[in-house]
Amino acid sequence: MLEGFFEQMGQWPVSQAIGASIWIYPTIQAIHLVFLALFAGGMMITDLRLLGFGMLSKPVAQVARDARPWVVIGFLGLVATGLPQLMQNASREYFSEFFWYKMYLIAFGLIFLLTVRRKMIQATETSAASKVVGLISMAVWTGVTINARLIGLFT
Amino acid sequence: MQPVHDLFFWVSELPTSIAIRESLLFSPYLTVAHVVSMCLFAGLIVMMDLRLLGIGNMSTPFSELQKRLFPWQMLGMAMSAVTGLTLAYSDPMRFYVNIFFWTKMLVMVLAGINAMAFHFITYNSVLTWDTRASTPFGAKLSGALGMLLWAIVIVSGRLIPYNWFQN
Repeated sequence: MLEGFFEQMGQWPVSQAIGASIWIYPTIQAIHLVFLALFAGGMMITDLRLLGFGMLSKPVAQVARDARPWVVIGFLGLVATGLPQLMQNASREYFSEFFWYKMYLIAFGLIFLLTVRRKMIQATETSAASKVVGLISMAVWTGVTINARLIGLFT
Repeated sequence: MQPVHDLFFWVSELPTSIAIRESLLFSPYLTVAHVVSMCLFAGLIVMMDLRLLGIGNMSTPFSELQKRLFPWQMLGMAMSAVTGLTLAYSDPMRFYVNIFFWTKMLVMVLAGINAMAFHFITYNSVLTWDTRASTPFGAKLSGALGMLLWAIVIVSGRLIPYNWFQN
């Protein structure tokens, strides 16, 4: 069922248009990385604080609040530049194990972000629990990045 | 640029360079590590640049943000440099003819000059604007230039595999 959808997605006029140009796809890939830097920066400044590094004189909650808009903008930018890449490559990505690892990790990362991590970043101080949360968050999003790069290299 | 060409060519003939080039997995994994290192470096640089622009992380004094993030930025830079230099070492002739590679190198130098200029000029007055709601023009300029130049570095780095301008 999903396979049919991916195949169809690759046939959409917009997907075909992206594929027909030699520079649109590479440009989107490159901008995807710029948004990745913004997203990673906003996530890491908070995760480092949860781990007990970084801006220790400020409460966790304050560092997290400052970082939030950049995390949101970064994520929206990643989605906006990620979807066209998927559309253009739909049937190949469907058969890439790395694409699916990336999607599962993003799904886990987002649920974690909106539940456990959201609760944890309301804290004032670093704790044993906040360190675990910071570490899991960093590991999951690093995993997303690794698998994302592997799609391009081994698909 | 005959001397540069000769140097790149000489490196390309070294046994270790050939060995990395011919291994199937080494350079893909180096590329992956390079991107992860880039996130650490560029991510925390952009956090500092947003603070310089006066639009992000404003509840922390600039000097503190700078001091606390610096070790992580340097770690990211060291990891990016090691993985990037190894990639260049493994296939120098591919990079020698690549316009995006040289754009990236040139813009990295400009970004370095921007960082030095900030450090030796604008940063001297940091105590007068460290906790203020707005940052001075020099700080905003450094922040904007920093973001722009590192974005160009990332974009041109990603475009290296596309050699549109070679015959």
